[in-house]
Amino acid sequence: MNPQGEVTSLLAAWGKGDQNALNELMPLVYKELHRIARRAWVGQDQGNTLQPTALLNEAYLKLAGAENASYENRCHFFAVACTAMRQILVNHAKSRLAGKRGSGQVKLSIDDVQLAVHQEAAQVVALHEALERLEAVDSRKSRVIEMRYFGGLSIEETAEALGISVITVNRDWRLARTWLMREINGEES
Amino acid sequence: MIQPADWEKVEELFHEAIDLPVHQREALLASTSAAVRAELESLLKADEKAFFAEPPVHLAADLLERQPGALAAGQRIGKYEIESLITVGGMGEVYLARDPSGGPIALKILRRHLVASPQAVDRFETEARAASALHHPNIVTVCESGESAAGLFIAMEWIDGPTFRELIDAGAVDTAQAIDWGGQAAGAVAAAHAAGILHRDIKPANIILGKDGVLKILDFGLARLAGPVRLEVNSSGASGTISGTLSGTLLYMSPELFRGELASTASDVYSLGTLLYELWAGRHPFAAETPLAVFEAIECRVVAAPSTLRAGIPAEIDGLILRMLDRDPGVRPSASKVCEVFSRFSAKP
Repeated sequence: MNPQGEVTSLLAAWGKGDQNALNELMPLVYKELHRIARRAWVGQDQGNTLQPTALLNEAYLKLAGAENASYENRCHFFAVACTAMRQILVNHAKSRLAGKRGSGQVKLSIDDVQLAVHQEAAQVVALHEALERLEAVDSRKSRVIEMRYFGGLSIEETAEALGISVITVNRDWRLARTWLMREINGEES
Repeated sequence: MIQPADWEKVEELFHEAIDLPVHQREALLASTSAAVRAELESLLKADEKAFFAEPPVHLAADLLERQPGALAAGQRIGKYEIESLITVGGMGEVYLARDPSGGPIALKILRRHLVASPQAVDRFETEARAASALHHPNIVTVCESGESAAGLFIAMEWIDGPTFRELIDAGAVDTAQAIDWGGQAAGAVAAAHAAGILHRDIKPANIILGKDGVLKILDFGLARLAGPVRLEVNSSGASGTISGTLSGTLLYMSPELFRGELASTASDVYSLGTLLYELWAGRHPFAAETPLAVFEAIECRVVAAPSTLRAGIPAEIDGLILRMLDRDPGVRPSASKVCEVFSRFSAKP
């Protein structure tokens, strides 16, 4: 089977509830997102900005092939891809934070840019950890955040990918953000 | 953790309460259980607007590519084995590595995302070519250059010692020492010029003093036989870039390059003069508070002779350094002339 056919059948199997299909799919998606993100980063120097959804769409077309790009497959794919994006971002944020502590021997200059990146990395890790707690309370809301924030999907795309209404996504998005901000910033009493 | 049944209630009341004016919320809250009320009150105090505005995808790309120390110890690049990360520069990373016989090697690697830019590859290859074309005791020796899965690499002799940046920052250097170093540095630049190669980026961070007291010039990254040099201002638009670049390269850049003129051997002499001035006088001749003030100083400041800042500087060297810093490239001495003067002093008992 060609790689594109493989991705399509894995997506379909996962859609039917096969969790093993997801396990096989994830590394493929992860690798492709990595590749596109890297190229997009180079493109930024030419004034292109990184659009998360464009990135996911491109990964999807590449992996599934344009002829297999059915509406249903695309929804499944976005659901996987957002989880992969979250993994990529959190892993890199963590290694970034670990790298800064590093060994005392290597003297790396920390300029303003690096500092900002560092703070952002810390935020990403904090959010990820709070999101794991939200998952235990209300897993759908944690999925909404994952898609909106880590995957960059719009409200409508999130609704499609999760198979819920736009109104529900809006309500989940609002409550989940409030809940997460409370978790991260702590309660002021 | 809140109970599922309570959570449903919290969710329902949250959406009702959030759009009500604060004073009207109390009636809604009063009818609930203590657990639901506590959870609601704490949520209503939190600010959803504080949620991160942007999806962090740009961060992913940044983290993918800028993360220092991308290569782990033990990884192989060509026939070399990575030991540790030494520094991260604008274009690449420098690692301490081991060659097959276990000897130390400095391995400079051009990061893969920059390989996509033809200019970066061009510059990296220029560095490899220029440095391997030069054989001089005071110019770092290139052992090999090539390409591996991790990117383009240059393997260079490993020099264990401080850079001139560190030496200058550490404080006053004695006269005999400064004369010796000045002669070695000028000798290396003169040899490059004799071979028709400009360095174009002479600065304290690019000169290392080996344990044996032999100084080595590194980083022929901007070296080119001929052609215009371009002022490369980092276009990321992020703050910190200008001052970062200034403290690095621009402080040692000659006024003719600021004016957009072609680099010449005299431009290298100027950069070397700035560095020697700093070494002798203990401070940079064009140091100033802001980047703009530095530009102005390079264009206009009347530089005080090093001897006014420090005693014991031979008059001939005092005048020589000032002429190296002359705004008119035509007035500056050649590197071989500078080398000759310094050598004469170091030969004296």
